Amino acid sequence: MQTDRLFLQFIPVLVWAILVIVLIVIMLLASWVLRPHILQNSEKTSTYECGEEPIGPARMSFPYSYIIYTILFVIIDVMGAFLWLLSVSPIRLNPIIAWQTFIFVIIIMGGIGYAMKYLPQTSLDGQETLEAYRAAKARHLEKPHAPGREH
Amino acid sequence: MQGFESAFESVEFLLIAGIVIVLAYLALEHKEIVYAAFFFGIMASFVAGFFLLLEAPFVAGMQIAVYTGGISALIIFGVLLLPRAQDSTLEAIESPRAKKIGILVSGSIMFISAILALRFPWSETIPEGTIDASLDVALLAEWLWGDHGVYVQIVALIMVTALVGVIALMKMDKAELMKDITGEFGIEARPVPEEIEPEPEESPEPEEAPESEKTSEPEASEEVAD
Amino acid sequence: MVPLSWYLAVAFILIGLGAYGMMVKRNLIRILIGAEIMGNGVSIALAAFAVYSPTFTLTGQALIILMISVAAAHTALALVLMLAYNRRYGSVDLGKPISQEEKLDV
Repeated sequence: MQTDRLFLQFIPVLVWAILVIVLIVIMLLASWVLRPHILQNSEKTSTYECGEEPIGPARMSFPYSYIIYTILFVIIDVMGAFLWLLSVSPIRLNPIIAWQTFIFVIIIMGGIGYAMKYLPQTSLDGQETLEAYRAAKARHLEKPHAPGREH
Repeated sequence: MQGFESAFESVEFLLIAGIVIVLAYLALEHKEIVYAAFFFGIMASFVAGFFLLLEAPFVAGMQIAVYTGGISALIIFGVLLLPRAQDSTLEAIESPRAKKIGILVSGSIMFISAILALRFPWSETIPEGTIDASLDVALLAEWLWGDHGVYVQIVALIMVTALVGVIALMKMDKAELMKDITGEFGIEARPVPEEIEPEPEESPEPEEAPESEKTSEPEASEEVAD
Repeated sequence: MVPLSWYLAVAFILIGLGAYGMMVKRNLIRILIGAEIMGNGVSIALAAFAVYSPTFTLTGQALIILMISVAAAHTALALVLMLAYNRRYGSVDLGKPISQEEKLDV
């Protein structure tokens, strides 16, 4: 058994993590001790929204089309991890490995280019909604009793 | 020094194992799903501690970079986009029989495999004391990129396939939204009231109405959330 | 050195917890979290075998790397599928009975 185990090099990280946790617990406890515990009037405890009455829950729904950016980030993340693995090795100077890296990056960049090209077709923006709405309205006004439209 | 090291390793293993199991239980059982997603992220970064104990520094780094940085962020973002998921009434299956069967099956999986792990003679199967602590990342890079370079290209193809699938699903989603506006059962399918006959040359609606139509999509999902 | 069976016990406890979450829960995001916890357990078992078996070291670690990247891809696809499910059925509840009209609409 070798003596230079890997986790011995990470003992400062462990000490630092324990310090961070202890510090956060101390801060939370201190703010709990120091804050007033007598119930204030309801104006003070209510959510402050610039003088407005808060309406509805705070957790609202965002448009779905935002998730595509997170997915692009995850794919770039995985690509970066693979390139990081390559960058610590001297075989990256080998021409065959360089060509492999080139193909790898080209494939992923092609996918991202495809996603960026078709990104406008995945979300419905305001202008497009307006045009579709106007076209549908005009079509409806032309023949209000088209087949399939009666209830 | 040797005894101190092994004792320290045991203590560290037990600490990380306890934290990971408690966090996994909390990620499955906490009532607020936002907190559950955060607990999953913290659990994924503590699993990296296991990889550091097991002489795999690159795997630990990749676990933190992809699981904590990417996947748990993706899950938290999914919770943000789906406010209906924060409904704590859909915690478990209502039928007690199905829930009992689920607990029984997963508990027996855990029990049998834990018995197998603790009782199986691993020391006869795998020779002990052969830990290659001198393994560095360059050897792993040479194995993965040099000898088995096809795997890396396959991973790239899997990533691109997932991206194309995501784009196709989002396009289907948009087509479904357009059906609400222009389709057979869309907004305009309501019959015009007979007494108010619209003028043929009536200009289309003012711009406020379509705007409110557009923003009513997320609001419709809000009322179910509370 | 911590014996191999301890690591395997932790890995199997995580796999059992993930299986419990996938079988009992109805929330789609909770089911996804259960699947990820199972994946983490499998990673721990693979890493333990990789370091305790001298011939499996590089293969095991490379397998974990491939597993993590495939997990990223399937999580992305699963979340977009959840968004499509929510758009179509108006819920992320897997145990919700789907009415006949919604079935015909498909």
